[in-house]
Parts: sequence; C-alpha cells; structure tokens
Amino acid sequence: MKYALYLGCLIPARELSYELATRKTMPALGVELMDMDGTSCCGPFAIQSLDYTGWLALAARNLCIAEKMGLDIMALCNDCYESLMMVNETLKRDKQTRDNVNEILSVASKKFKGTVNVKHTMDVLCEDVGLDKIRSKVTKPLNGLKVATQVGCHLVRPKMLHAGVGRGFEVLDDLVRTLGAEPVDYDDKEICCGGPLRDIDDHLSRTLSNRKLSALKRANVDCVVTACPFCYVQFDLGQLEIKSLLKEEYDIPVLHFVELLSLAMGFKLEGPQLREHRVPIDRIVRKLE
Amino acid sequence: MTSAESDLEFIMSQIHARRRDPDFMQEVANTPRGEGLLSCIQCGRCAGSCPVGRLTLKYNPRRLIEMVNLGYKWEALFELSWLCLSCFTCIDRCPQGADVGEVVFALRSIAAKDGNVPKGALTMAKNLVETGHIVNPTASVSKQRASLGLPVQEPVPEVAKMAKKTGFSKILGLK
Amino acid sequence: MVEKSALVIGGGVAGIQASLDLANRGLKTYLVEKSPSIGGRMAQLDKTFPTMDCSICILAPKMIECFRHPNIELLTYSEVREVHGSAGDFTVKVVKKPRYVQADKCVGCGTCADHCPVELPNEFDSGMGIRKAIYLPFAQAVPRIYTVDKDHCLDCGLCQSVCNAKAVDLEQQPVEVELHVGGIVVATGFDTYEPFRITSYGYGKYKNVITAMQLERLLSASGPTGGRIMRPSDGRIPRIVAFLQCVGSRDQRFGYPYCSSICCKYAVKDAVLMKEHRADSQVYIFYIDLRVFGKGFQEFANRAKKEFGVKFIRSSPGEIREDPETKDLTLWYEDTLTRTVNSLKADLVVLCTALMPRSDSVELAKILGIETDRYGFLVPSNSLAEPVDTQVPGIVGCGYCLGPRTGDIPDSVMQAGAAAARLSEILMAGSG
Repeated sequence: MKYALYLGCLIPARELSYELATRKTMPALGVELMDMDGTSCCGPFAIQSLDYTGWLALAARNLCIAEKMGLDIMALCNDCYESLMMVNETLKRDKQTRDNVNEILSVASKKFKGTVNVKHTMDVLCEDVGLDKIRSKVTKPLNGLKVATQVGCHLVRPKMLHAGVGRGFEVLDDLVRTLGAEPVDYDDKEICCGGPLRDIDDHLSRTLSNRKLSALKRANVDCVVTACPFCYVQFDLGQLEIKSLLKEEYDIPVLHFVELLSLAMGFKLEGPQLREHRVPIDRIVRKLE
Repeated sequence: MTSAESDLEFIMSQIHARRRDPDFMQEVANTPRGEGLLSCIQCGRCAGSCPVGRLTLKYNPRRLIEMVNLGYKWEALFELSWLCLSCFTCIDRCPQGADVGEVVFALRSIAAKDGNVPKGALTMAKNLVETGHIVNPTASVSKQRASLGLPVQEPVPEVAKMAKKTGFSKILGLK
Repeated sequence: MVEKSALVIGGGVAGIQASLDLANRGLKTYLVEKSPSIGGRMAQLDKTFPTMDCSICILAPKMIECFRHPNIELLTYSEVREVHGSAGDFTVKVVKKPRYVQADKCVGCGTCADHCPVELPNEFDSGMGIRKAIYLPFAQAVPRIYTVDKDHCLDCGLCQSVCNAKAVDLEQQPVEVELHVGGIVVATGFDTYEPFRITSYGYGKYKNVITAMQLERLLSASGPTGGRIMRPSDGRIPRIVAFLQCVGSRDQRFGYPYCSSICCKYAVKDAVLMKEHRADSQVYIFYIDLRVFGKGFQEFANRAKKEFGVKFIRSSPGEIREDPETKDLTLWYEDTLTRTVNSLKADLVVLCTALMPRSDSVELAKILGIETDRYGFLVPSNSLAEPVDTQVPGIVGCGYCLGPRTGDIPDSVMQAGAAAARLSEILMAGSG
C-alpha cells in the first residue's frame, strides 16, 4: 500500500508530533508514504467562502501532483481531506466545471484528469490495514485507559458524501478499543468543537469548546483523542485560553489519535513531541509504560 | 394620527422597502453552492440541529434562508453568514436538500466580491496568495524539520498566478 | 362468455367494501388476504378521526358480513401467484399457505396458544405486544382460525396434544387453487415507514421513541396494554408527549417526497386521545404545515387547541437525545414562529411516519401486468378520468395502494365502491 502523503499547512507548521507519529506508525503497518513536491494549501472553508472557482483550482492543483505520482492521496487533516475529496468528486462528475478549472490550472502548467482518490488516515487504517492487523501490532495495550474520542465534523459529515466509505462516529471508538483502551461517551459528543469560528468570533468559538470540555470533565475521562488538528487546537491550546479568559481549569490531556496508536505500538514520544502539548500528557505516557 | 406621525411612518416604510432586494433570492440561487435555497420549506430542522444556534440568538440557519428569501441582503450577507461553523449537521438532516450549510458559501462569496470579509479570513487569504499556504512554519520550526529530516514547506508562486486569473487577488486588494 | 365473478386482493377496509359491493350485486367474489385474518390497518386503529368512533366496532360487522355472505369466499393466509387471461376471463392461481391447523375443525378456543412455549413480537401490534408461534393475530380475527408460524415453531407438538378438536396438523401442505374470474380488484393498502435512517431521531435505539401505529396499539382497548398508555421503557404513563409530523414524508433525502395525507389528521386525533387518557398531560404536535383539510378537520384541530389544550409548535425538531438512566427524551427544536431555539424534555415521542406501498406491491403488479410508479403505488390508466382503472381492462384498484389521495377510511370505502362499480360494468354487461 503506497500513498501520496498530503500534509496540509497546519500540521507541518504547528503539530509536528502528529506528523512524526504518522510517519512512524504507518510504515510499521505496511503503508508506504511518499512525500508530495510543491503542494499548496488545500482550500479550507474560509477560502472556499471567498472564491468558488479559485478553491476548485487550488485543491485540483494538489490533486494533479498526486495524479502525476500515480498514487492516491492520504490526507492527515480532516478539513484537507474533505476539501480535496469534495473537489475531486465535483471535477470527476461535472465536465463543464472541470474544463473551467483546467483553464485556470493551465497557468500552473497542470491538468486535472480525475485518476486518483482521496483518503484520510482513518480510511487507510480501517480499510487497507484493518483493525485485526493493528491489534496484532499492539505491543503495549492501553490498559483500559478511559479515552473520549472527538472524531471531528469533516471526517463524517455530510453523511451522503461519505456514504461510499460507510464511516460514522464510532470509527474512532473502534480504533481506541482495538488499542486496548476504553472509549467513553460524553454529552454533545457529535457537536462541532468550534474551531472554524476562531479569529472570526472568538467568543463563540471558545463557548463551544468550553461546552465540550465541561462535558468531557463530567464524563471523567483520562484523556481525549482527536483526529483533526483543528479540534486539537481547540481542546489543547483552547484549555489555556479558557483558563485565562473564563477562569475554568480542566487539565484534560489531548492526544492525536496517531500518537495513541504509536504508544500502543511500542513507539516512544520524544521530548519535542511531548512539549508541543500545551496541556501536559506526561501522566498518560507514564501510565502506559 | 397627526400629520407628522404619518410622515414618519411613510419615511420608515421607504427605508424598509429599500432595504429589501427582491432579486436577491434568485441571485443567491444562481451562485455556486446556493442552488438548494429554492427547496427550503422553512421547517426549522436545521435550526434545531445547529450548535451555534443553541448558543446565541445572533445566528439561525433557517432564519438565514428566510432573510435571503425576503431579500434582506444586509442581514444575510454580513450579520448571519459568517457565524456558520461549516459543521454540516444541517446538511445531514435537511429533508428537502436545501442545505443551508452550502448556501452559506454562496452568500459569503457574494459578500467577498465587495470585499466585505471578516479580518481573520482576509489574513488567511492574503497569506495564501502570497505564500501558497495559510499557515507558515516559523524559522525555528523549519530548522527543527530540517534536523529531523522532514520535508521543508516551500512557498508556491503558482497559487498567486492562479489567484490573479480567477480575480481572487483583486478581492484581497492585491495586484 | 364473461365469468360473473371477481377476485379481490387485499382484505383491508377497501377490499372488504369492494367484496361486499360486488357480492351484493350477485357476483361471486373471492377475497384473498395474505395474512391470517382480514381487517387490515383499520383493525389496528383505536379510534377514527374526526368522529372518534371505535375503529374495530365499525369494521368488525363488515368483516363478519364478508365471512357470512353467501357470495363471498374468503381465502385468508393465501397469495396470488399467477394471472392469465383478460377482462371477463381471468385464470388466477392462488396458493393457500399451510396454517397447520384444519380450518373446518378449529373452533378458535385458544388452548393451543396458552400452551405454546414460543413468544414473539406480534406484527399486528407493530411489535409492541407478544404472540405465540401458534396464534390469532388479534381478538376479532376473521376467520377465527389459529395459524402456526412455522418459521418460529419448535415442532414440540404441544399444541397438537392439547387441542380438543384435533385441529392441529403439522404436516399440512400448501394447496394451490385455480380461480376463474371476470375481474380483479387490487386493494393491498400500505405499510408504515420505519425511520431507522433518520438517525438523529433515535428510532430503534431509544425505547420511548415509537411510531404512530405503535401508539395506536397502545391506545387500543384490545391492544397489548389493554388501552393503558404505558411507555415501552418502564411502563410509566407518560406526562409529556411529543408528536413529530413529516417523519419520512415530504422528505427528499431519507424517505418519500410526497405528503402522506392523513398524518396531521390522525396526530390531532391521537393528541386529543392522549389528553383524554391523562388530563394533566402536556401534549405537543411539532408540525411544518398543519394539513387538516376537508370538512370537520380544521374545526377538530381548533378544538384540540382550545378545549383540550394540545400545544401546536411549528417546527421539525433537529434531534432527539435520550437520558441513559431515565430513558426520558430531550428534543432540540426551533419554534419557527417565535424564532427561538429550545429544548423539550418528553416522556414519550411519537413519530408520524410516511405511509408507503406494501413491500410486495411491485411483485404483485408484475404478476397482474399492471404499472406501478417509482414508489410502488398503482398507476391509474388515467388519473383524472379513470382513477381506479389500471392499464389492464378488468383490473381495478382502490384504497391506499393507489397512493395518498385523501387517504382516510371514507376515501378507501368510496374508492372501493367505484372499483366495484367499474367491474360490474364488465361482469354484468348484457344482463338487462
């Protein structure tokens, strides 16, 4: 299994631990990740809002790079995944739009052909690798760690778009269970973390993440695990912001799901990776050793 | 009613009438991602599902479509449409395929044509055109990446070229 | 040579009425019904709207009349397999499925069922009640003959040993009969949509979210709870009840795009019944449009609001959540008239779901050579001028299988009359 690895902009700039954990665990599970040359931003929702055709072209340019490599894309970030996937499907389906976009792509000397697919890391883990194989590679089962999952909106919504994949909110719970931890339910589990309103209406964004964090606190979890780097920021950095602005303290460690996976597979999280977490995760790491 | 009162009433009604644009609904329905608008039956299922709607009276997806239908351009474009999270819960539940979560994108692109965009989004967009990315690593992060053998994020000038071609850079006030 | 006889497929109120109308004209009529008893949906209802008559009290005399009529032959637990021929001269192969009980011996005493060890959810009670593997679908079943559900039967033979009439025959075979009829009436009725796909409502997950048909069975004096509204999770009588309209109707995504015609009307009726059952209850109807058209219905809805205190909220709720301990439900909705987002805590939620054609209506249509639309409803040969005729002369339809017209009981009865009249033209031609 070989994929073109699409990193996006947020993870390589601010969440190296996510990237490092992915690069360690995937090859150990038999997935080869090839770096893409010259990728740009995928066109997340703030950009989609400003220029429709511009967004299509922006995302399509990245798809063309993968097409040239002859590989499907594996995206790390939920928003990147959905943006690329939506554009891929739209352009494959609609010839007129495809022609318009190719006209714009010509200034970048590229042409969209529609020969590749876009997947998220979760897809690769669940479909290509399979939970059974993951279970067999777990050398340090997570000992009933009480884990709340935050799947993130764009991995599962809108359902129609993901109908072919058949993925729902339970997908991350299943993975967590496979690693030996115990997924815990909490109020408002399926509601958005508020990330997209950051820098647009910080008060609302913070109110939403506060609501989720207090639900997590009520559920008495050991940690929360995220799939989307945006949700991660809302919960991790978000806890510091809430502490200073709303005077509420939660102290709930936030881990990327690939970090949990790498711990269960026996890999260590290095110093710089640990220090990235604004809410320290040391006690979780220690618990698992 | 005195003559002064009826004058005032007349003036207010003129202000109200001018606030509304009877062609607005069709304009939005003809914009990409706005097509579902015409299917809305105002059932309110989206408003019952919206996480933002539960927290603030400021935003309500059903009311957003109502404002568009009535032609209240100002409210629809500038007050309401930027509070949507794009969480797509409304789209998951809309029985008619009106998909207000998609209509929001159409509205924002209309607002963007006149440059009426929240500052946060503008900053992201400018960064995108100038470097090809929304977020760029700091110098120390780049150094760290290099030392770990990770690929370094390069600027992508092709994005600026494409932005010029679609007219996107004009919106941002760039050349 | 025109066969002066008719076949009616479907033993609900439409099929029953059509049979009686044809039989009273002197035409021999075969009434074929797939389930063990005639009665159909109307037998499942508690009260009818807007008159609040007891449904089975009105239907049962007609059922008995069918049973006793010299010109009507009931073939229950039977299915139509093949049809050949044309108007005036159809040859129909009907399979009488084995009941494993001899019809001429069974007296309907029920001793067999008392001893049967197998318990299953009862289809007639929409899953809210229990029946045995040998059963009568409901107390007023016509014919009053027990049936063995071989799929769930353990073959223990207990029923056979206790039957005083020696009626149980576990070796019974299906019997094929060939009927020669001049005309055919299709009256197969509807199924109710089960809204599992609308996951935000929790149907199938939350015990206290039920469909309107399930509520009818709870309301019925001869139902599984003897007419006491006991909510499924703990048997408590609910104090706060919410009806949700248009669940799977007017729905392009999860159900059927059409309006099912009768749900607003029966919701008003059921809401009033809930208030009558418990005067201090709070009953809400969540609607998008209140489609209570026709004589007497708007008045009925107004009475529900003013006299009975039913609360009408113009809203289609976004989601329903369950409290894992109490199994109480919370609805999140926007009241579109006051424009506020609220939540409501309810003990019981009733989903008024879409009505759709029976699952085998398309297969039956193929056997008959008639057209169905993309939902499975019959397509009339001319929906304006010949609304009960099908593409095949001599085959007519009536009742909800024609689609949601007015959709209520009087509508089905009227259409049955029309269908019988149309057939009579063919069957009695030339009889001065």
